[in-house]
Amino acid sequence: MQLQTATATIENCRYCLMCRHVCPVGHVTRRETLTPHGWGLTIASVQRGLLTWNQDTVDVLYSCADCGTCRAHCVTDQPLPDAIVTNRAEVTAQHLAPAAAYEVHKALQEWSNPYEKQVPETVTGQAEIALFVGDDARYLRPTTLESALKLLEAASIKPILIGIGRSSGYLASSLGFPETAKMLVQTTLDELKASGARRMLVLTPGDYYAFDRLLADRLEVEWPRGVELEEVLSLLDKKYTAGVLKFKSSDDKRPFAYIDPTHSLRIPARYETPRRLLAGVMPAAGRELFWRKERMHPCGNGALQFMNPHISNHLTYARLADAQQTGAQVAITEDPGCLSHLNRHADRFRLQIQDLYELLADYLI
Amino acid sequence: MENNLFLTEMILSELSEIVGQDFVSDKESDKFIYSTDWAWMPQMWLDRGMPLRPPDFIVHPGSAEEISEILEIANKYRIPVVPWGGGSGTQGAALPIFGGILIDTKRMNKIVAIDEKSLTVTAQAGIIIAQLEWALNEKGFMLPHYAASSNCATLGGALAPRGTGTISTKYGKAEDMVLSMQIVLPTGEIIRTPPVPKHAAGPDWFRLFLGAEGNFGIITEATMQLDYLPEARLMRAVLFDDLDIALEVGRLIMTHRLNPLVIRLYDRESTVSQVKKVLGYEYDGAYMVMGFDGDPEIAALQEKKALKYCMDLGGRDLGRDPGEAWWEHRYDFYYPPKSLKLPWMYGTTETVTTYDKIANLYWAEKKAVEDGFADWNVKFIAHFSHWFHWGVMVYSRFIIEEPPQDAQEALRLHNRVWNAAMQAVMANGGMINEHHGVGLKLSRYMRKQYGEAWPLLLKIKKTIDPNGIMNPGKTGFGF
Repeated sequence: MQLQTATATIENCRYCLMCRHVCPVGHVTRRETLTPHGWGLTIASVQRGLLTWNQDTVDVLYSCADCGTCRAHCVTDQPLPDAIVTNRAEVTAQHLAPAAAYEVHKALQEWSNPYEKQVPETVTGQAEIALFVGDDARYLRPTTLESALKLLEAASIKPILIGIGRSSGYLASSLGFPETAKMLVQTTLDELKASGARRMLVLTPGDYYAFDRLLADRLEVEWPRGVELEEVLSLLDKKYTAGVLKFKSSDDKRPFAYIDPTHSLRIPARYETPRRLLAGVMPAAGRELFWRKERMHPCGNGALQFMNPHISNHLTYARLADAQQTGAQVAITEDPGCLSHLNRHADRFRLQIQDLYELLADYLI
Repeated sequence: MENNLFLTEMILSELSEIVGQDFVSDKESDKFIYSTDWAWMPQMWLDRGMPLRPPDFIVHPGSAEEISEILEIANKYRIPVVPWGGGSGTQGAALPIFGGILIDTKRMNKIVAIDEKSLTVTAQAGIIIAQLEWALNEKGFMLPHYAASSNCATLGGALAPRGTGTISTKYGKAEDMVLSMQIVLPTGEIIRTPPVPKHAAGPDWFRLFLGAEGNFGIITEATMQLDYLPEARLMRAVLFDDLDIALEVGRLIMTHRLNPLVIRLYDRESTVSQVKKVLGYEYDGAYMVMGFDGDPEIAALQEKKALKYCMDLGGRDLGRDPGEAWWEHRYDFYYPPKSLKLPWMYGTTETVTTYDKIANLYWAEKKAVEDGFADWNVKFIAHFSHWFHWGVMVYSRFIIEEPPQDAQEALRLHNRVWNAAMQAVMANGGMINEHHGVGLKLSRYMRKQYGEAWPLLLKIKKTIDPNGIMNPGKTGFGF
């Protein structure tokens, strides 16, 4: 996003309170400053010379979860998260960002991921369908990937794996390093091209968003023409609905709740897909969280986990508390980043966290 | 406070001991953001690069007991206290114009109880109305306070300025829905008003706290009347050539108790500008939306009879679509860039009076604003949106698209336009406000509004808030 467009958005959002009720960071902090209006007014006021970028105001700038909830609820579709990220890029360029941003950035530049000092595996070979693995599924929860592959195999799909261990580019973009984001995205797109695949599958809504809207809205990178982008879950749902995939019913009678993973609301009409698949396995209907579907909240993963672990943890607690309040004993989701965060604190809320891909794979007929 | 760092630090420590370190802030970033609410005056001031007086501390209490302790500190050191709900008020009622302690109530956001038999909800006052509504909808109920600010305003923020919502014509204002409240008085006592609002056990003292805008204490909990989600909602639009005739139709519908949930009548200027901009309809005349809800048969009959009044007086039935589109997009008017926004100058001089006076009031105010500020190419637009058995509210607004760039000059012009509007309103039997409240903006008109009765209100203020710490400078009470 160009700074000029970002400024126009900021001017619209600085005094608008119409999405405050859905901002997850606002919910957990209760600070007016950490709401869309607060971010907008802070940036606008720096531009007017009323504030300067210092440790306090830069912390504010980096406390937005970049989850897209505000935009999803905006009647006039103001791209506030993009505008905030554009301003982060200005701040990083001036070397004023928090130290954590530069540390993560260094890791992304060097290792293509924020978790391990390891370069992504080189991909060779060709296939009709590619599966982008990313960093979370590689380093945080490899079993998610194994289960997804087992399910795809049952549907006679054998994708070539690309981007193994490589960040999608979303994290770098969110932190305010668009050039690094472009580099990461471009490397994956080069692998995709080399694979000859006409369809690229992703494991999470976050990755779908990264290769869909983020490319166009933030990075000005073109998605390869003629290549389809699809979530694994969406493909499995189609195969299940068509009768290609069959599941036996689980004998787990414990009440469960589905947690819409981070960035779900950036993917239109996604909400019923995981619920339909769950209905094919679970013996009873799931409990619904209060903050679900169109008003879902992030699980604590994303840039915030590095920039403000306190808020990130509170986002995770809020998801777990919401699930607990439904009376559920099991909380189910599929994003490896979400699963990792939820698992870390689940005991406190007397919940067991279940990976949807693993669950489906376990009950495959 | 800024000149006494030692005392500031001492008070900060005391506040932290009450609410915990995480819930008190004196960060520059927070102080800056809480220095403005949704009023045009402070927003313009910042827009022109002029800083505002910030609060000294922002506190997020978790209970009435904590608020009570905070007020004890405020009384001890004689520090101003400003209650803050959503900060969505248009009158500057939440501005910390003298600094002090700003109490943000949004941590107190629990639903305490839902009584499905009596159809009531008891909730903490810091809950955001839209969130409360979602929770109630899941059980088949609604709190029929459908304000444009529902996404950002709190329950306490609806009650403190006597707020209203889109469907008030049938369901009443927020003050009509409240059964009882818990209030922390300025001196720290935590009191509860009687459990029901209709009784004969002495004077109706609990209403003192409605419209007091924090001057008489902080509302911390409220029990509100609910309704079942309606089985049917019938929306329709009618166009009139003549605004005065449309007003007469509205009066007939109301005085014959046809019970519409909404009648929204736009004057010609609003119809050709706002309605066209937001809904895309190009009508020339007075656009009226009306709706009926509840039992489908009853609603249909009410609508049929209301439509007959419209047709008998020359209205043109536009059918359901323009009515339903309005309902669907009724809040779109408040999203930028569709909403009025800076650098424009604007103000909502909304008022209410009886049916015998409303037409004269509207035309007088329009003339006062348009004639008085023709040099500034002022626009005057209005809609009539909250109807009673005895009268109607007019939501009148002035807009100057090219105001002075100098902040002080702009503020002075803004005040002059308001003066002209308010003088016309009061001269024609109107109240200075119907639902936005008084705040800082209208404070100076309170003495004139109440005349001989005003000293009584001052005495009440002095008795309830002897140190004058609560929301000073607002609602006419000074400091």
